[in-house]
Amino acid sequence: MIQALLDGILTGAIISLGAIGLTMVMHILRFANFAYAETLAIGAYVALVADRLFSALVPVFDAALAPLTLSVSLLLALVVAMAVAGASAVVIDRLIFARIRARADALSMVFASFGVALILRNVISLIFGHHPQLYSQDIAMARVLSLDPLILIKPDQVFVLMAALVLMAAFHLVLTRTTFGYALRAVAENPALAQVSGVNLKRMIVAVWLIGGGLSAAAGVFYTLTNQLTPMLGHTFLLPVFAATIVGGIGSVYGAVLGGFIVGIASGLSLMVLPSGYTPAMPFLLILAVLLIRPQGLFGEDVR
Amino acid sequence: MIGLISYLAFFATMAGILAIAVLGLNLQWGYTGLFNGGVVAFFGAGAYGTMILGARPDPMLLGGFDLPWIVAFAGGILLAGLVAWVVGALTLRLRHDYLAIATFGVAVALESVVRNAQWLTGGARGMRGFPRPFEAAVGDTFLYGLVFLALVMFVLALVYVGLQRLVSAPYGRLLRAIREDEEAARSLGKNPARLRLQAFVIGSMIMGASGGLYVSYTAFISPQDMAPILTFQIWAMLIVGGAGNNRGALLGAFLIWAVWTASGFALARLAPTDWQLYSGSIQYILIGAVIVAMLLWRPQGLLPERLSIRHTETAASARTTSKGVT
Amino acid sequence: MKHRLTALAGAAALTVFAQAGTAAAQDCALNVGVVYPTSVDWGLPIAETALWVAGMINEAGGVDGCTVNPILRDDQNDARVGVDAARALVDLDRVQLLIGTVSSGVTIPILTSVTAPAGVMQMSCCSSSTRLTAIAASGESRGLWFRTFATSNVQAVVAAMAAREQGITRITILYKNDDWGQDIARLSAAAFEGLGITVAGQIAINDAQPSYRAEVTEALQTQPEAVYLALYPTEGTAVVREWIGLGGTTRMIGTNSLKSEDFRSAVGQQFLTDFTGIDTSAPRSDSATSFVEAFTAHFGRAPSGPGLPNSFDAAAIALLAYHAAGREATGAEIAAQVPRITDPAGEAIPATVEGFARAMEVLSAGGTVSYQGGTGAVSFDANGDVSAPAVTWNFGTDGTVTETRYVTLEEVAALMAEIGE
Repeated sequence: MIQALLDGILTGAIISLGAIGLTMVMHILRFANFAYAETLAIGAYVALVADRLFSALVPVFDAALAPLTLSVSLLLALVVAMAVAGASAVVIDRLIFARIRARADALSMVFASFGVALILRNVISLIFGHHPQLYSQDIAMARVLSLDPLILIKPDQVFVLMAALVLMAAFHLVLTRTTFGYALRAVAENPALAQVSGVNLKRMIVAVWLIGGGLSAAAGVFYTLTNQLTPMLGHTFLLPVFAATIVGGIGSVYGAVLGGFIVGIASGLSLMVLPSGYTPAMPFLLILAVLLIRPQGLFGEDVR
Repeated sequence: MIGLISYLAFFATMAGILAIAVLGLNLQWGYTGLFNGGVVAFFGAGAYGTMILGARPDPMLLGGFDLPWIVAFAGGILLAGLVAWVVGALTLRLRHDYLAIATFGVAVALESVVRNAQWLTGGARGMRGFPRPFEAAVGDTFLYGLVFLALVMFVLALVYVGLQRLVSAPYGRLLRAIREDEEAARSLGKNPARLRLQAFVIGSMIMGASGGLYVSYTAFISPQDMAPILTFQIWAMLIVGGAGNNRGALLGAFLIWAVWTASGFALARLAPTDWQLYSGSIQYILIGAVIVAMLLWRPQGLLPERLSIRHTETAASARTTSKGVT
Repeated sequence: MKHRLTALAGAAALTVFAQAGTAAAQDCALNVGVVYPTSVDWGLPIAETALWVAGMINEAGGVDGCTVNPILRDDQNDARVGVDAARALVDLDRVQLLIGTVSSGVTIPILTSVTAPAGVMQMSCCSSSTRLTAIAASGESRGLWFRTFATSNVQAVVAAMAAREQGITRITILYKNDDWGQDIARLSAAAFEGLGITVAGQIAINDAQPSYRAEVTEALQTQPEAVYLALYPTEGTAVVREWIGLGGTTRMIGTNSLKSEDFRSAVGQQFLTDFTGIDTSAPRSDSATSFVEAFTAHFGRAPSGPGLPNSFDAAAIALLAYHAAGREATGAEIAAQVPRITDPAGEAIPATVEGFARAMEVLSAGGTVSYQGGTGAVSFDANGDVSAPAVTWNFGTDGTVTETRYVTLEEVAALMAEIGE
């Protein structure tokens, strides 16, 4: 039970990172972006390429930083991945979503995002192939924290949790301590009024895509660190990330964080409630429960 | 020659079955503005419902009740409607995004159920043993293909005419009114929530009919038939054909199914051998690109919605549609 | 990424083979339908293998002197698309032979709505559903159906036997949550229990899940002495890495689908020393690794993933039968020739270009051959199922798959009787 809780928290951290960007996008641009989860895959694959590149250029970087399976080159690759994923999110918006926004209604954008997701996923499979990839061949051994009840944890998982929290804390600081952060919150609150006060809406939107894309990329890399990577990564995170935004309330960053952890823990505990085959349906059950009890989620405001 | 006719008959049968689902989606999205992100859930409910009721008994399963085809078919439709009613009652009053996500989740959950509830649905093995309508009467396979095509076209025509009547009737205008301006509709004493739920359920029942016909043709169903790709295909058909327009829905169905099958056919023939091995990914990218391009270039679809010009001369003279100037 | 280049190179070589074949064959071409899920990762190599065989046949002289023209269609693991592809192949390309497909959910609709009604022979490499045996037994497939993939019953029973021999009394089953996996889970659970081994848990592993930690943790908590893995390499790798990382026992019994280099290298040889694999294969005149060697030589990489030797044998037997039946043959006529390819009393034929050429000579002269392929000496029963003995294998000391023991059909039957099936 405690083990399931622990594992749930760790998966939850990854889902939270992915959900932060999605909740901002859904709130400010008012459309459910089904292509959003693909940024996790983009980030993870870019990191794969960058990691190999750095390792080849500077062989000493390839060594794992014990006790993690993480290496310096992977850390550098992470930064690159965040930048590239953020940039690609901006580009996709510029090329496709912004144009559809101008010409058709919001729901066409939802559908366009279906199409974009399909394209992205299959381009990734064309380039990298369907078979699973790993950052490191070594199997990371779990450390035994306690024997009864049996609690195991891998150093990589601890790192992922710490790193995710650091990123979220950094974002929180940006939101509360910088003018940029205020502008972002203003736009989230009331775009029209924010613009009147001099905030450049277009630039804020670009910032939202950049930040969201970057955080998702980090989520993708962290996930691959403790699992394996296939082109289906985006698809498998789609429903959990959506569930996190709904649980937390669309538009609330803190809600997204909390929602991510809730979804992660629920998925971890799902085996105690559901037979093993039903685990993919757990995020949906959460969504249903939230919609029944409190449709606006924990911290959200708009429901209509 | 017979080969060509046989293939075209099959093609038209499949396109027709999918067209019925597109018409159902058109009612939900085109007329009422509801985003159904889980079309496959209702298609699948209809299919599984029809199969469980109509298949021959199977010792390993609860179902296979061997009911007459028309009863099984109706049962599947009702099951789809029931699922829609439950989902709709919970989510329709919320923002459109919620419905999209919730319906997408329903599809995932339902696929999970049919994959795991082996005592009811056969699990991943699926179900078979379904006596096809009229098959006993018609011996020859080629002839049966034509007979079934006729059945599908009959149901399609029924649904099409029914929806056209609905659309030109006050009910259709009511739905559009709710879609465009809910406050005004409510001020006139209409109950938007109830009407939206009605439209959602009816549209889903039509999708269920599509699923029922599908299972009647293949006489086999498995959880693979509930993969999300169907939702995407049906949406693509509606977007390309023209949302809010029943004829557009039909056009879109036949067009997209043709593109889907022809691209497979073409890749097999024209592409060099090494490309053939990647034809699946290429096909998905092609379809995705067609959809996105369509939305960028002509989001109202090939046959856009047209307001009934009979009653609104101003509309005719202004030559507008609800989505802007034509 | 390396795979991409070698696949392209291999395919280019293939086209050259096909051209070379026409030099040996006359100016006629026979369309043969090939339907496989090429857009799925494990489907791609299966299709490549079938095309490779077609190239080899052409090189050996073609079917009855005509070039084999394999028309490859992707079924996308989707019944609608698969049936459409089969329909087009039968109606428009006029094929009399269709090789395909993998997923039973697609194979069954194709068989019952397209190939059997049209009198076209269908040979599958990899569909495992027991429903297909029932369809054949009922006569619905009109004797046109064959598959080079043994039903799961034999594997399940032999796995139980292996567990018992190793003194295992408590085992947990981790199975892929699709028709193949659900079947094996059910059958193996019955087999284990039947031989007195407690099944501590049966845990479904869904495709493409973000993390299997919860499932693996649950498996750990059942405290088994060993685990039985009915998984494909993708999720198999993820599950086993997680299992070992969390301290699970290295004592594992696995299905033939894990006979994969990807699996072996990702898990690591050092953790696979106590791994026992099961497969169905008969003793053969050449070595068990000859298929692996030939594959590696042709494609530049080791075979990885399920169904590759089965795909090889399916294409080879089908095309040789086509040769035996003659270029004008109908599906039923081709099907009738299959026993001449798999006659235990016939001349043993290795699965090489020279072997195919020799087989064609013998067949044209009216004789019979015993085809020795990637899955050993193949023979079919009345329902088109392979009746082959089982074999246990492991990853050897250096990573080469080593077959350790053959279990004859009589022994398997005795086991089944003991289990009380």
